[in-house]
Amino acid sequence: MRLLLIEDDPQLLRSLTMGLREENYAVDTAVDGTDGLAKASSAEYDCVILDGMLPGLDGWEVLERLRPDHKVPVLMLTARDGVPDRIRGLDAGADDYLTKPFDFDELLARLRALIRRTTGQTSCRIEAGDVVLDTAARTVTNAGEDIPLTAREYALVEYLMLRRGVVVSRSELYDHLFDEDDDTLSNLLDVHVSNVRKKLGHAFISTRRGHGYCIE
Amino acid sequence: MRRVVQSVRWRLQIWHALILLAVITALCLLVHHVAQEERLRRVDRELRSFDRAMFRYLTSNQGPISPEVIRERLRNLKPEGSMPEVLKALFREGESGEPYCVAWDENGVEVFRSANAPDSLQPPGCSKDAYEFLRTENGRREWFRMMENNAGIAIGKELSRERDELARLTWKLVLCGGGLWSLGLIGGWWLAGRAIKPISVIAGTASRIANGNLAERIDIADTDNELGRLSQVLNETFDRLQSAIDRQKQFIADASHELRTPVSVILCETQRGLKREREPQEYKDILDTCHLASDRMRTLVESLLTLARQDGTSGSLEAEACDLTGITSESIGLLKPLAEAHSIHIESDLQPTRVEGDPRSLPLVVANLVSNAIHHQPSGGRVKVRVFSENGHAVLEVSDTGPGIAADHLPHLFDRFYRTDKARGSAGGHSGLGLAIVKAIVDRHHGTVSVQSAPGQGAVFTVSLPKAGC
Repeated sequence: MRLLLIEDDPQLLRSLTMGLREENYAVDTAVDGTDGLAKASSAEYDCVILDGMLPGLDGWEVLERLRPDHKVPVLMLTARDGVPDRIRGLDAGADDYLTKPFDFDELLARLRALIRRTTGQTSCRIEAGDVVLDTAARTVTNAGEDIPLTAREYALVEYLMLRRGVVVSRSELYDHLFDEDDDTLSNLLDVHVSNVRKKLGHAFISTRRGHGYCIE
Repeated sequence: MRRVVQSVRWRLQIWHALILLAVITALCLLVHHVAQEERLRRVDRELRSFDRAMFRYLTSNQGPISPEVIRERLRNLKPEGSMPEVLKALFREGESGEPYCVAWDENGVEVFRSANAPDSLQPPGCSKDAYEFLRTENGRREWFRMMENNAGIAIGKELSRERDELARLTWKLVLCGGGLWSLGLIGGWWLAGRAIKPISVIAGTASRIANGNLAERIDIADTDNELGRLSQVLNETFDRLQSAIDRQKQFIADASHELRTPVSVILCETQRGLKREREPQEYKDILDTCHLASDRMRTLVESLLTLARQDGTSGSLEAEACDLTGITSESIGLLKPLAEAHSIHIESDLQPTRVEGDPRSLPLVVANLVSNAIHHQPSGGRVKVRVFSENGHAVLEVSDTGPGIAADHLPHLFDRFYRTDKARGSAGGHSGLGLAIVKAIVDRHHGTVSVQSAPGQGAVFTVSLPKAGC
């Protein structure tokens, strides 16, 4: 899953980026509202984490400009905890509102809920045959046996499982699994698909030539 | 009962009732006294008139009149046709309210006593001189005319009719006075109510304000009286109070807001660190980040404490003569390493100047202004610090060659937590309180602080303080 984190405080930006990447998210960052709006408008993100007080455009202005054309889920993460601020944020198009200081695990849970909602899932457990993905525990089991996956392999399985039955193009996978800092070599995705197939069975991910990949 | 007595309306009413009662009583007593005197004068005129009629009757129609002749006529006094009607009353027995007459010869022997004269009326006693006098005794008014030889005449009159008239007048006065007093009490109660009503309005409004409705004010219809002026003063006080409370609330909200981000960093880093086993270097990085966030909080808390101290001791400055030049020089020396780290050159032009002030807080003014100048300009810039005297004031001037400040920021530059960048911008460890601290200290010293700047032209901060000995 690829996230956009718009936060002007460098310490918090760094901490959150590292924390989210450790949770297998691809994270792009922006340190002001103008840059954040440009990135959110130009790339495919699974969720945007948006600070309120930002240089350039503030969080509420970013939302107001982003919303008419973009459906990406937005979680506002701000120190402004007043009810009018929350109302203004939610009315401007935020899907969720979290105030600082926040619990990192709560932030992760809210992110999972937002992403789940956009893909129509209602549970943290997604099953495909014997394979069960738990987005909360971030584990994959095959016939009850834990399957150790790397961060990128897990992200690939999670993305395809959340879109089970849908053919996902290679470019879409690139857009959602790699952030702007990744060196997206053309065969990197093939390597990850191959590794997942070795661990979960060759038929687990089917290839649709000329279209992409799919989990049935 | 105690509550009633303490009520201003009741107190006014009681005083009003007492004063009104005293005035009405005094007036009634005066009227009664005047009426009594008037009646007595009327009786006296009547007695004199009777006396004259008697004298004319006794001395009429004959030639020379001697005391013997008069005595003889008195002895033989009878009601007859030629006698004036007024004298005929002397012979009507039991007629009260009619004049009576008693005459004595030189031996004190009665020569005439009218039928209605009281038995107790006797000659007043011996005297060598002739005399006349009036007296009131046993409800009678009597006029005596006595000779040297002790012969004389007394003419009197019962005062029963006058007493009845006075009794009736007394009742009338009591009734009228009572009525007037009652009317006065009702009017006084109404007036006291009218007078108290604005006070009740003021008390009600003040009570609602005290209960938290800080925006409410006393409605002043008429400002040109004592209560209007009191309301005005109270409204001004409430304005200042609300402003202070709002500032306090804003300050607390801002402080809380500023602390949220470093707390978030610490929470985020510690939770991330505890999620799994890590290499020592990773733990070190996490602790470094937490340390930086804690340091930021420490800076903020120290700034808040400094501000709170300045606010808390406002008006109680224990000033002493300080060497502003020495203070500035020391502060510049402490900041030189910081300036060198940012490749900023500090120039100073310090003339010997002494001020009345607090030697513990004045260095903060210099340090905040100079470090502000260092942080807000790119490497290679210059900071110039001047200390000089001007118009009886000590002036500290800190100028820089930075990017300058836009005009719309200048009025708010000394506000607490105000930053020219509306976002946090606290990466450099700034709390947004430095200039607010400068202003608080300068205000406490009864000085002024101002800034002149324009985009691209650097900024000049000028602090003016009272000189020592002025």
